[in-house]
Amino acid sequence: MSDFQLALTNTAGVSSVASFWVFVASNGVKKYHDKMLKVGSIVMAIGFVALTLAIIARGVEAQRFPLANLYESLLWFAWATMGGYLALASAYGIRQLGWLAAMLAATMFLYGSWLPANQQTITPLVPALVSYWRQIHVPPLIVSYAMFFLSGLSSLLELYHAKRKVSLGLSIGTIFLAFTAIGLGTFTTVDTKWLQLLFVGASLGGTIGAYYTLKMTRGEPNVKQAELYDDVSYRAIAIGFPLLTIGIITGGLWANHAWGTYWSWDPKESMALVTWLSYAAYIHLRIHHEASAEKLSVVSVAGLLLTLLTYLGFNSLGFGGLHSYGKLK
Amino acid sequence: MTTSDSHPKQSLGFRPVFRNGPLAIFASVKLTIVLLSLCAATILVGAWCPQEATVGQEKVIEQFGEEMAVNLHNWGVTDIFHTPFFLILIALLSMNMVVGSFDKVFPKLRLLKLPLQFFGPDQIAKMPFNTSFAVGASPAETLEKLQIKLQQRGFKTVVHGNQLAAEFGKIGRWAPTITHIGLLSLLLGVTITSWTGFSGFKPVRLGDDLSFQDSEHSKQWVGKLPTWKVHVDATRREDYESGEAKQWYSDLSVVDPKGKVLDKQQISVNTPLEYQGVDVYQSSWGLDQLIVSFNGRERTLDLRPMGKLYAAFLPLDEETVLIMSLRNQTLPMRLFAKRPEWEAPKLISEIPQGKTVKLGAVEIKYVRPVPVTGLQYKSDPGLPITYTAFGFIILGVMLAAIPFRHVWVSVSKDGSEAGSTVAIGGRSKKAKVGFERLVTNIVDSMQKELPPPVVATAVDPENGLSDNLTLAQPAPLPSRSTESNV
Ligand code: HEM
Repeated sequence: MSDFQLALTNTAGVSSVASFWVFVASNGVKKYHDKMLKVGSIVMAIGFVALTLAIIARGVEAQRFPLANLYESLLWFAWATMGGYLALASAYGIRQLGWLAAMLAATMFLYGSWLPANQQTITPLVPALVSYWRQIHVPPLIVSYAMFFLSGLSSLLELYHAKRKVSLGLSIGTIFLAFTAIGLGTFTTVDTKWLQLLFVGASLGGTIGAYYTLKMTRGEPNVKQAELYDDVSYRAIAIGFPLLTIGIITGGLWANHAWGTYWSWDPKESMALVTWLSYAAYIHLRIHHEASAEKLSVVSVAGLLLTLLTYLGFNSLGFGGLHSYGKLK
Repeated sequence: MTTSDSHPKQSLGFRPVFRNGPLAIFASVKLTIVLLSLCAATILVGAWCPQEATVGQEKVIEQFGEEMAVNLHNWGVTDIFHTPFFLILIALLSMNMVVGSFDKVFPKLRLLKLPLQFFGPDQIAKMPFNTSFAVGASPAETLEKLQIKLQQRGFKTVVHGNQLAAEFGKIGRWAPTITHIGLLSLLLGVTITSWTGFSGFKPVRLGDDLSFQDSEHSKQWVGKLPTWKVHVDATRREDYESGEAKQWYSDLSVVDPKGKVLDKQQISVNTPLEYQGVDVYQSSWGLDQLIVSFNGRERTLDLRPMGKLYAAFLPLDEETVLIMSLRNQTLPMRLFAKRPEWEAPKLISEIPQGKTVKLGAVEIKYVRPVPVTGLQYKSDPGLPITYTAFGFIILGVMLAAIPFRHVWVSVSKDGSEAGSTVAIGGRSKKAKVGFERLVTNIVDSMQKELPPPVVATAVDPENGLSDNLTLAQPAPLPSRSTESNV
């Protein structure tokens, strides 16, 4: 990795952390609230530009498309998270999603920087990955994952403004535990069985709990804000779903081209299908069933957990398969 | 009746096909949601538990231990995609998809043909989103300006007297139909393939043949297996400088039963052989055997993959083992000996291919390695339909991202010389807030660009429209019937 590329990547990482703190601090100072929110977005935008350049630089250095291992995919994920937030913020004038998006991007940077060096350095590709299909297949997937994450985070804000505090607490706790399982799975040698149990147990318990506690409200809901975040959450899915579809189908085309079968029930492949079916269910719930915004928020949080499982869970919780980014331990 | 979606169904000449009768349950979207979720959950379990059909039983035992593996096997979890439960689930989902598509999705296309309707201020005031404001310009001028603004934002507009109707993203209405046509075609393509196609995998040694006789096909199969075979003329691995595999190649000949060569092609990962609807893919590669000679007597030893190497083991006596290791086809063979009292095997010699070394009384010659190429083959007659389906699905879901928006405007003259009151309202099913921002934006700019109303209406100057969307009082307006347009 050249110093130039490292500097750009670090700039992006630092920007995500800095914008997080600006967003958070803005809530403490009434007077400069709006100004600070703007500053937060600008800092994020700087990070986004730096990261765009970093990824390009990496591609030039490696002389291949810079999306071939976990580290690079994390860079893309952070890039899409920041870009996705900036796009949604400019379309909706929302800012509070900013600190969540910044935190997510920062988490991914941190996760990436803790990976062992062999994941960060630029390595040659195994035969199966030498194909132009790679650049068609993977980027839409990573961007769709980022959009689903933004949707889930937006749903948390929806629950907050709808004053579904218990559901909100359960949702946040669940996401936290799920991330903990992933972190432990990646960086420690804790038996993956326990981590699988932690992830799945927390996800099931948390989302079911969040769903059944939707009846409990505390305080006067802020209807306009709740509607806003409900809308943002859906827009993010509306963008993510076609991308996921494109990613899965191009993956099928590639597999058919390379191995003669477009579907082989590989774990990661299956997981992407699970995510796809779940969001298809979400869309039908929304379009045809017109479920309440709060219910849809919980579904979207469940979607976030599934996306996390698809994206990082399979690698770190020991599911293996053709698509694993390689063992770390 | 405020929007075109809520038309009485009869007026469209559309009657649900499956409203009654035994199929009615399959038209339910609630069922769809349940089935999609169940499917997702089942596939999730299948992704978690290694599947015998793809990775073999050993993998399950390795991961869960013998006892648990047996339980999982008995519950069907280790081959979940072939359990009756999963197959029934897929069958139900397919039924649901077919019935639901024809009953609920395709008929909605008729909405595309409906002309835009017009509404008066009273009806507009009942719309999910609505507001009104006054300006100091004539109704005609106001309406024209509004029309331009809507058109600039991509709306298609129609004016009828003092009323205007506008829509955006009508093309998005094609989304469900196109997606669902894609899903049904996918079902068709996959069915055709499973009834008439075949596939399989076979490791083939250099110089051997691949035939299709032991391929996999489904029980209700009506296809035909080819009689020609594929002969492996050559096969090799190309490495990166670091020694990692970069690409695998095989030179293949298509040979008919009488031995006549029909075609020759080189394949590699990502470039298969294609012949008469059958594709043969390079899917793995290895060194399978090692031919060496001892004092002129050739022996064929099996090679085992050991990390980046391949090795053959030859016990010499009770304690000593001769180990021959190869890195690839071209590098010399390395010869080791291992005895229990040694910590690691000792390198005895390196022998290039075709060369001989003398070890005591024995002459060892490295004759050659025998590579094996992993060939995956398949015939997929439904593929053109499947690929078309993929196209439809991608197009459909992309169209679904387009929000579909309606705006209605009714302008009337107010009490003054040159003033009008505008009632504006509408709806957007998919992006409500974005829609509201858009309309608010238009209203704000109208008020900025046109002179203020002469007759004071109840617009609170402190409180911009963006904060309170219905604060402008609609001026008393004659209520108008719009039923004639429906
Ligand atoms: C299995 C049975 C299914 C049934 C009965 C069903 C039914 C429906 C219905 C009634 C609509 C709404 C049409 C409208 O209101 O205009 C719809 C829309 C849609 N369906 Fe399905 N569906 C099924 C499966 C699926 C699956 C598996 C997918 C996967 C992608 C899917 C994708 C869509 C999409 C993208 C839309 C358009 C949504 C939009 O306009 O935003 N459907 N479906």
